[in-house]
Amino acid sequence: MSDLNQIMNTAKQAILSHVTAINVTSGNIANVNTPGYSRLRPVFGSRGVIGEGAVDVQLGVEISAIERIYDRYLETQIIQQQQQLGESQVRSDMMGQVEEIFNESSVEGINDLLSEFWNAWSDLSANPDGFEERDALVSASQSLSQVFRERSQELVDLRWDANDALASDIRDLNGYMGRMVELNDKIVEVEISGGTASDLRDKRFELLKTMSGLIGLDYYEASDGSLNVFLANGRSLVEGSHFWALDVVENPANGNFYDVVFQDAPEIAINDQIGAGEIGGLFGMRDDLIGGYLEDLDTLARNLVTAVNDRHQSGFDTYGNGGGVFFASGTGARDMAVDARIAGDSGLIAAAATVNGDGGNAQEIGAIRDALIMKGNTLTAASFYQSLVVRVGVDVRDASRTLEHQTVIQGQYETRMESLAGVSLDEEMMNLIRFQMGYNAAGKLCGVVNEMMDALINIGNS
Amino acid sequence: MITRVTEKIKFDLVNGNLSRVQSQYTELMEKLSTQKEVNRPSDDPLGTGRILDYRSSRKYIEQCNENIDTARSWLTVTESNLTSVYDILVQVKELALAQGSDTASAQTRQIAATSLENLIDQVRSLANARFGDRYLFGGTRTDTEPFAENAAPARVDDPVAGTANGFDGAAAAGGTYTGSANGTFVVRILSGGAFGAATCELSPDGGKTWGSESTVPGTGVIPLGDGVEMTLTAGTAELAAGDVFTVRAYAEGHYNGNGDALALEVGKDVILEYGVSGEELFTGQGASGGTDVFAMLEDLLAALEGDDAAGIRDQLGSIDDAIGSVNRYTAKCGTRSNSLDVLEKGNDDLDLRMTALASEIEDVDVTEVITDFKMKEIALQASYEMANRMGSLSILNYLD
Repeated sequence: MSDLNQIMNTAKQAILSHVTAINVTSGNIANVNTPGYSRLRPVFGSRGVIGEGAVDVQLGVEISAIERIYDRYLETQIIQQQQQLGESQVRSDMMGQVEEIFNESSVEGINDLLSEFWNAWSDLSANPDGFEERDALVSASQSLSQVFRERSQELVDLRWDANDALASDIRDLNGYMGRMVELNDKIVEVEISGGTASDLRDKRFELLKTMSGLIGLDYYEASDGSLNVFLANGRSLVEGSHFWALDVVENPANGNFYDVVFQDAPEIAINDQIGAGEIGGLFGMRDDLIGGYLEDLDTLARNLVTAVNDRHQSGFDTYGNGGGVFFASGTGARDMAVDARIAGDSGLIAAAATVNGDGGNAQEIGAIRDALIMKGNTLTAASFYQSLVVRVGVDVRDASRTLEHQTVIQGQYETRMESLAGVSLDEEMMNLIRFQMGYNAAGKLCGVVNEMMDALINIGNS
Repeated sequence: MITRVTEKIKFDLVNGNLSRVQSQYTELMEKLSTQKEVNRPSDDPLGTGRILDYRSSRKYIEQCNENIDTARSWLTVTESNLTSVYDILVQVKELALAQGSDTASAQTRQIAATSLENLIDQVRSLANARFGDRYLFGGTRTDTEPFAENAAPARVDDPVAGTANGFDGAAAAGGTYTGSANGTFVVRILSGGAFGAATCELSPDGGKTWGSESTVPGTGVIPLGDGVEMTLTAGTAELAAGDVFTVRAYAEGHYNGNGDALALEVGKDVILEYGVSGEELFTGQGASGGTDVFAMLEDLLAALEGDDAAGIRDQLGSIDDAIGSVNRYTAKCGTRSNSLDVLEKGNDDLDLRMTALASEIEDVDVTEVITDFKMKEIALQASYEMANRMGSLSILNYLD
């Protein structure tokens, strides 16, 4: 047998439930611009009925759960994609800087100065006794050496930039892992009593996304709600409430550039286990790409110096001496320089092939312009450099295309995630109206029950 | 198809579009302002390689043309000098014909001798002419006056030690030079040490070709060939690797230069010998020599002064030979100048073609870029318009 108190109670629960629902809606509306916020949805549930013979008694309504809308599968895809994106971003960024080093479209670079170097030799062969021509050659050679040194230095600087960025990324990553552990603890604490720590989970996902932009990782959620994060090869980074911090150590075998290690095992480099992410991209730039360009530039400078010096030593200077070296002996582009004696006295340039005043040797050296001194005697110095520039151009183009592609894919994933989990104001406003109507109706119900109560009480007084 | 569209999706879409259009718009702006299609290697990697290649080739062509100019100037001066020499030799021939006849007297021959002396001086000064700092007719000895006033017997200069030589002892040359033309011997020390231990190599032609390695004799006397030897006297420092000694030997006559030709690169694999050595023009020395012009002129002078009609007539054949030879070389200079003109024309054509090819890759098609630019402008305006509409269209406008 239902009584008025029971109905009053049902009305009260309806009011409370709708207030809760409006509260959830207000949270959604307030967070419409919060990155990583997953919308919440109040789940109304009937409290059921108590059967009393033929007549059931309604027990009313309750908010049985506040659901966090998300998609675990999309989450995984976004995390995976973020790793690729982090790597592409750093590669595209740094390749853009490399490209500027090799960009000769509006300035004179190695290509032009190399031509001028050969031309200066040719000029000297036309007037081997002329000190003007000799001094012009010295200055052309110094300009060429200088541009080699500068380009080399700029590339080296970029490598150090990448190295510094690496160290700072590792520091950031350690910080993120620390916060991940804190969030794990809090989530476990909240959820052990049966709740859903949805805002903490949102934050943790955002954190995981930031981390995966830095480093290649895998993850899974343990049954207690804590997140475990691994390197791609299975080595743990975060497990529940513990994390393994990374560190960088200088590697003397690699020009004192940093290796990445675990703090508890500083002697084992894990560079090749990083995989993707910004850190992976920085490794690729520092060691493979920029390192490769630098090596090519060094080889070019070395072969050039050797070819010119060899020929120069078979000629004679203006003082009846055999020719010495023209370029100072060095290791490559970084220390290319005209020999100090020649720079001091251009008469020591061995322009002549004989002790007389011919320009035969200058002409022979000028002819190295067309000599196949590079890549196992298949390319001239100029064409080797040109192919290097082409390679840089192709690499830059690849890097920016890959980035574009990755960005589009990530954009699609995020749009799908947003479509599912994002806040739609249209929807929230409609919900608001709906919940408000529910609330109003429940209020009206209270009034009706109240009147009925009055009527009941006044039965005795009449 | 996205079924549930949130505010963020709409804003992200417009944002993404705006930045994409903006970046294309900026790219076009750069192309318009630089007037270049390729502003960095990644714009067109292969094209960039080719542009650089064209630039190198054009610099090379520029250099070849410069060398052509140098060679042509040298040839022009040579040609005009030889023409003057020709004129003088024709005068000499007329003089010899007149004075060789029986109608001439001792007196006329004496007068002719005076004017011949004058002519000889003129020929010598033409043969010693310089272009810039360099003697035209000295072969590759461009720093020494090629023709002396008086003939000298065969002789050997003292060795010239390289200024960087380690050896500080004395070097002297000896012997009688038996070569037919002026020669330059070079001794280069290959491994240093005392006499009897150090090794050297020897070049009979100034350093062009080298003999095999041999030990410096214990006496310090190195035979150089053609009757010439160099005697080294030990000093405080021993011979060092790389020490160079130059010994110049001269055949009998007026000539101090050599028979080598000056050469320049004027095109790909085209080495042009632009110098004519005095040896082949004015001396009877060596393989290339013909008539010893100065000896002939001096003989004629002696015959005039000696009133020797037969002696005068004897020189007529040599004079004709000399005239013929000068004529031949004058023509040769002309031919070489002409071939230089042809080369230069070819170079200019190549340069023009390369410029065109580079421009095809590098330069913008202005019409196309401006059209694109206009289109992007419209796209940009549409995006802004869309952004503006988005704010005004909301459910909130319809709720009280």
